[in-house]
Amino acid sequence: MGLCDGRVALVTGGSRGLGRAICLTLAREGARVAFNYLRADAEAAATLAALEAAGARASAHKVSVLDRAGLVELVKQLDRAHGAIDILVNNAGYGQVVPLALMEEDDWDQMIDTHVKGAFLTTQAVLRTMVRQKYGRVINVSSLAGVKMMQAPVHYATAKAALRGFTEALAKEVGRYGITVNAIAPGILDEGVSEHLPPARKDEYLRHCALRRVGSLAEAAEVVAFLASERASYMNGATVVIDGGV
Amino acid sequence: MDCTTCNTVPARPDRPHTFFAHEQDSCPSCAAPIEARVVFRDGKVVHLLHCPACGPQERAISDDAAGYVRAFLARGVVPEGLVGDHLFKHTTSTCPGCLALVSAQVVIRKGQVFFLKDCAACGPSEALVSEDAGYYVKAYAFARAGTQPLAFRGTVEHGCPTDCGTCDDHEQHTCLPIVEVTDHCNLECPICIVDNQYSNHMAPDTFRKIVDGLVEAEGTCESLALSGGEPTSHPQILELLAIANRPEIGRVVLITNGIRLGKDREFARALKDLGVYVGLQLDGFTPEVHTAIRGRDLVAEKDAALATLAELDIPTQLIFVATRGVNDHQIGQVVELFLSGSHFLSLNFQPVAYTGHGGGTFAHDPNDRLTIPGVIRRIDEQTGGKVNYTDFFPLPCSHPQCVSLTYLLRLDDGTSIPFARFIDFEKYTTLLRSSATLPATPEVEDALADVIHDVFARQDEIERGPEILAALRRSLDEMFPRTPLAPRDAFRVSERQSKSIFLHHYMDRHDFDLERLRKCCHHYPQIDGRIMPACGFNMFHRGAAKGADTPRAKFVTSATRGGGAPFRLPVIA
Repeated sequence: MGLCDGRVALVTGGSRGLGRAICLTLAREGARVAFNYLRADAEAAATLAALEAAGARASAHKVSVLDRAGLVELVKQLDRAHGAIDILVNNAGYGQVVPLALMEEDDWDQMIDTHVKGAFLTTQAVLRTMVRQKYGRVINVSSLAGVKMMQAPVHYATAKAALRGFTEALAKEVGRYGITVNAIAPGILDEGVSEHLPPARKDEYLRHCALRRVGSLAEAAEVVAFLASERASYMNGATVVIDGGV
Repeated sequence: MDCTTCNTVPARPDRPHTFFAHEQDSCPSCAAPIEARVVFRDGKVVHLLHCPACGPQERAISDDAAGYVRAFLARGVVPEGLVGDHLFKHTTSTCPGCLALVSAQVVIRKGQVFFLKDCAACGPSEALVSEDAGYYVKAYAFARAGTQPLAFRGTVEHGCPTDCGTCDDHEQHTCLPIVEVTDHCNLECPICIVDNQYSNHMAPDTFRKIVDGLVEAEGTCESLALSGGEPTSHPQILELLAIANRPEIGRVVLITNGIRLGKDREFARALKDLGVYVGLQLDGFTPEVHTAIRGRDLVAEKDAALATLAELDIPTQLIFVATRGVNDHQIGQVVELFLSGSHFLSLNFQPVAYTGHGGGTFAHDPNDRLTIPGVIRRIDEQTGGKVNYTDFFPLPCSHPQCVSLTYLLRLDDGTSIPFARFIDFEKYTTLLRSSATLPATPEVEDALADVIHDVFARQDEIERGPEILAALRRSLDEMFPRTPLAPRDAFRVSERQSKSIFLHHYMDRHDFDLERLRKCCHHYPQIDGRIMPACGFNMFHRGAAKGADTPRAKFVTSATRGGGAPFRLPVIA
């Protein structure tokens, strides 16, 4: 019996990296999994194939998290195909190594929009069904950079910190409808956005990490699956740090 | 702990129980028959009694208040095939002949509700009290606990209604105080419910004392109405309005026939400058209606008053006294007028009460009259369902048989939609509990948050769902702009987000119901400090329940009728 048997999950930015790991973990735990992606058709196809190979009922959707109408339509589609969404993972995002001095206005806008506005638009589209069914699990993918002072791009840290505020305020607002809202804050993982960090920065991290290693995508995805399950029923508004002890 | 600097006004406490109804009982000590207050306390049913001989008593009735309510409502179901009257309950009413308090059977007859009374002195009588038994019975399900004033003005000696003023057995604080500032008038209305003597304009110092007393008793008042007579005939009316204009009073309302408003622009501007609200009597649109109800053709004067109110954008309440066979065909027209102007905040229908100098002698048939359901039905029929029968709910602020109400949300295109189309008031009774407007209390905010999420979740299923969401959003933007509003400005902005239509049925000698008086929240503050529930005052204290110079009632209760000595009410000299 899986942690998420019979549940319907939507994972944003699910075609690769941590998003893909979360899709696979949720599917392993019994959820029907849908994910959206922006451009990476090949990776999306690979993720979908992996899900189906694992026996999951799954679907992939090429919709931007900034396309409000597209998201509303996606939710309707999923409702017809899989049933009402029970689990939403706001994962869509990306990393960009650039100091503030060289940061363009567009860099800033795109980073904040993708992480924060994307989470807002997707959550708003999904929330209707969760309020109606008086049940829901929203998990936002923040970052250690949004929780602690560390060497990270300012716009990225800002966006991830914003997601923490988003998590706490939303948890308070919709808790009355049986909807929990939590976040994970991973440290450096072996793949995904941390994959191409400068070696010096990774070394600096390892010097402060009690476990003396970076984490894996799967280790972060396991926490997401837990937060999406009934076992985390009294966790709400929390940000779970997954950093090996920094 | 509350900040003592920011919040110095003590909150009115809730009553320790929920008042539900009156039932026949007897004194546990001396066995004298007494009418009991049925109250719910901690989920249990208790009879509270006041025996004139033995004092306060109480009797436990049931441990299951919810079950009691279900059984009570079931008594309102007429057995199939029954011919004749179905007894629903008992209450205490008045003899229409001598005004004595008499026991009344509340019966359902062909879908309507009647009081059957039998006065030892005057004989039997009947009175229609509701044109819809279904509405009448179901209204009891809306009973909610009242709140009490910070200070009562009287103590219980003889019991209701003789100790009016209000005593500590009264079940609701003063939601709407009405101060009669003059007994002069420029009309002689055939339906006048007061008894003008043309003898007195209230002195400003006296009025100030009344307002001080009111604030002392209530802490804050959502509203204060100045009435009369015709208050605009008071030579110092602007001074009185300025006295009332203080932070503890949310809105000051001038109840007027509008004659002066239409012809005295300077006066109207002064009202606007003072921030006064106007309650405009508007009972129809044709000469014959005005003549029948107000004594002469007022069409031009009402039009002039309406034009002034619109031009100066003065927040306005329309008051329509509805009389069967006289103006009930113009009910839809006044609703349409009300919906057409953003300065119209509320529309108050009052099915006529046959009491007072004019009303007490106005020709009528007590068994064939307008009641709240009849007015609602006409609203539905005459607006083509724009506002329909199911949009209205009993307001449990007062007794649920006294007031029925609907709120209408202002949509961005200027039209309005009744809240009942997107809110289940049976679920969100909090929104109906307190008053005719929505106060910014935590429980109301909580209920509104639920409503917003509910509409958000069901917007595709709800009539005009996206427009409702847009209007709710606009309301929030206007009430909470980036630069915060001063409290009074915020109040003004918030009340323009919605409108309300409410129906208030004042009582007369035919349909008087002591149970309703028990929770009356429309009160007349008096010069001597008492705060008198309106219908009790009109019936027993004003001395005009059957027209001018009606002898004030000798209180002969069912307990004293058999031999006890009747006593007279302590009335204002």
